[in-house]
Amino acid sequence: MFCYQCEQTDRSNPQAGCATAKGNCGKDATTADLQDLLVHALKGIAQYSVCARALGAPDDAAGGFILYGMFTTLTNVNFNAARFVTLLKEAAQVRDRTKAHYEAAAIAQGQTPKVLTGPAAWQPAADLKGLLAQAQDVGINEGLETVGADVIGMRSLILYGLKGVCAYAHHAYALKHESTEIYAGVEHALNFLATDPTDIETLLNESLALGHVNLKVMELLDAANNGTFGTQQPTAVRIGPVKGKAILISGHDLGDLVALLEQTKDTGINIYTHGEMLPAHAYPKLKAYPHLVANYGGAWQDQQKEFSDFPGPILMTSNCIIEPLAPYRQRIFTTGPVGWPGVRHIENHDYASLIQAAKALPGFKEDGTDKTITIGFGHDAVLGVADKVIEAVKSGAIRHFFMIGGCDGAVPGRNYYTEFAEQAPLDTVIMTLGCNKYRFNQHDFGDINGIPRLLDLGQCNDSYSAIKIATALAGAFECGVNELPLSLIVSWFEQKAAAVLLTLLALDIKNIHLGPTLPAFLTPNLINVLVEKFALKPIGDAKTDIDAALQRKAA
Amino acid sequence: MTTHRIHRIELITRDSQPLSFDCSEEQNLIEAAEAAQITLPSQCRQGSCGACHANVTTGPYTLGAHNAAALPSGSAQHGGTLMCRTTAQGNLSLSLPYDYSRILFQPIPQRNAHITAITPVAENTVLLELQLEASDEYGSAAQFEAGQFMELEIPGSEDKRAYSLSNTSNWDGRLEFLIRLQPNGKFSHFLNQQAQPGTALKVRGPQGAFGINEGSLRPRWFVAGGTGLAPMLAMLRRMAENQEMQEARLFFGVNRESELCMHEELERLQSELLQFKVDWCVWKPQGDWSGITGTPADALRTALADAAAADSQPDIYLCGPPALLDAAEKVAAEFGIPQDQVFSERFLAA
Repeated sequence: MFCYQCEQTDRSNPQAGCATAKGNCGKDATTADLQDLLVHALKGIAQYSVCARALGAPDDAAGGFILYGMFTTLTNVNFNAARFVTLLKEAAQVRDRTKAHYEAAAIAQGQTPKVLTGPAAWQPAADLKGLLAQAQDVGINEGLETVGADVIGMRSLILYGLKGVCAYAHHAYALKHESTEIYAGVEHALNFLATDPTDIETLLNESLALGHVNLKVMELLDAANNGTFGTQQPTAVRIGPVKGKAILISGHDLGDLVALLEQTKDTGINIYTHGEMLPAHAYPKLKAYPHLVANYGGAWQDQQKEFSDFPGPILMTSNCIIEPLAPYRQRIFTTGPVGWPGVRHIENHDYASLIQAAKALPGFKEDGTDKTITIGFGHDAVLGVADKVIEAVKSGAIRHFFMIGGCDGAVPGRNYYTEFAEQAPLDTVIMTLGCNKYRFNQHDFGDINGIPRLLDLGQCNDSYSAIKIATALAGAFECGVNELPLSLIVSWFEQKAAAVLLTLLALDIKNIHLGPTLPAFLTPNLINVLVEKFALKPIGDAKTDIDAALQRKAA
Repeated sequence: MTTHRIHRIELITRDSQPLSFDCSEEQNLIEAAEAAQITLPSQCRQGSCGACHANVTTGPYTLGAHNAAALPSGSAQHGGTLMCRTTAQGNLSLSLPYDYSRILFQPIPQRNAHITAITPVAENTVLLELQLEASDEYGSAAQFEAGQFMELEIPGSEDKRAYSLSNTSNWDGRLEFLIRLQPNGKFSHFLNQQAQPGTALKVRGPQGAFGINEGSLRPRWFVAGGTGLAPMLAMLRRMAENQEMQEARLFFGVNRESELCMHEELERLQSELLQFKVDWCVWKPQGDWSGITGTPADALRTALADAAAADSQPDIYLCGPPALLDAAEKVAAEFGIPQDQVFSERFLAA
């Protein structure tokens, strides 16, 4: 295996990357290799999809499969090698169908169908040994000796960003929101990668084009969430348990949550959100269920302790699962793109066994703290008080905005984000999204003229809110986003963050602080390009970075 | 011959709680703690993620290859270390950057149960079914890995006997065991003389690390002697429940035909698992026997020869009396099956 797609990738050797029998995330070499081969197979589907679409005969069903397939290869999503053997067979079938679809369209238009080569011509080997042999030729490092590390790094940036794009688009798809334009964008990017591109300028342009595609995806996902569940409202969420039977739901998929809430209605079972599911409490149609009682625990990297302590079953709906430990291995269930070998998997919202488990397990014996945290500051809630915010900026009551968001993780350097939030001066407002917020969201930040100093915009899936708010503020102040008193402090871990980063760069947002470390796949040359074009910055010391941000605005 | 010295490791948590365990020079600190039933926070276990970082306050140690960024900047010069990459060279004291509540301890559950059925299934073999009593701590669920065992306490004594579970983790609190009745066995005596539906007894478990090598996509071959069938049955049932697709094969051997059992259940599993074959083996058939004559180790040899011709090396699971396991392990070695693909649980007479 060779994988360096996440922030936690092995950096103990000069060539960063996980290249032993097991990655730092727990993914074994077989699974990693099969994932590489799946990406290759999906490129093949995209090659034919692009041709079909050019003839006005798009195959959006293939697009849906591509989104799901790519999502399974994100960090901390699916560790079940057996699942990938099945997915590879399905991918070949989808490719054959798309190919036939294209050929029929070509013939109907009096054209001779093209015979495509490369990934489009891939045929799955008959057995595992054969599949693993095929995987050896299609990893991200393929061609490194010929094209050099910069080209491989740029291809990686696009591929990993695309994985994030597909994951977000799959979330929208799960809520029945699709877009032909997005399918076209995803297919285009995969088809581009299938050509083994080598020109750095072209690669850079394509990465920014993908950032624009992701903006459309985030907009669609925003419409899916708000359209299905109502717009987020500021809401106080309990963080202590309530006596009684309990189910914990983690990940991002709100559609999975609402199905669970429906099926557990009037059963006496309480539903708790974990990690990125926290923002669910802010949606009117979700918080209307009285048994959606509380948020439990913190960010994903704490799950082994928290799930062990949770006295009921756990449902993982999307990223981010890590190895289930013995105390809860029998009572954790996966669904959607998620998988772990030997762990029970639920399809089609059939939660009967999960509910049976909740009834059999002890639940909470007593109520915990009634402390709450306030969430639900999506773009509607924030822009609803835009006048007040603009007035506060004009009067000097609000000096600066810090957008501190993204993924959390285990590495000690992530304390930076806690320190940054807690040391931000009292006349600054902190906006946050993603699970990085758990580093500071129980801190009492107070308010400025009634405007809370901490505004929780939602999941990383809600990054569109941040962009919309920034754009609206820029409009109000008649300036560009880069001229706003706003600094972006981005914490990344996996590929959804890579997609959001590409969107921010595509929007020409400058001076982003990215940490806790820069992606291992970006070579020094590529980092120089990003520094020159976008003034991208690594994180430093929290106090120094705060001072510099405030200084920059004052200058 | 080399010997590994054992060192004492003392930990102090952020909230000043002490704990300690022994560590040999060939273990890292996370492994050694785990062996002492102490699960310290860790994640990648490869020196990269930083989840296990701690500070050595006294004592000599070695920190192996790791990602420098996984440690707080500059801390390595002052005892900062990653416990998954740390080996002790003498007694050590460490301070942990987290509270005692972050540490998992896994005492072996003790539960009350009662017998729901004792069913003879073959000569000198019974299927014992128990129902766990609901408890505040565990509810009514029976949670265990397929392949694990439980200790059953003989009522009125403190004697315990360990038996592999033959069913799978469930929410109803059901436990099933295949038990060979031994002429002079204490538990057998209890089953024969005392036990009946409703009889209460204490159980201690689940325990044991025997179970499916989950990440492997290789064929799974199960070699069972007598009631060594129990954990194999559990693993096959779990494969069926989870719709695991690996090819499976069971070599089930007994001395006489009359000792064979669980025919219906194995047939059911054959209908649910698409690639599952059973080789019934009888060592000394008494009558007109159409299955394999010989031990499961003999059958394994024949099958491995065929597999070798097809360039296939299965994972091999062994359970039964020591003589069978020794023979089967020898056969596996003859065919070059790597040791890490052979998993065994020995049934030793108590």
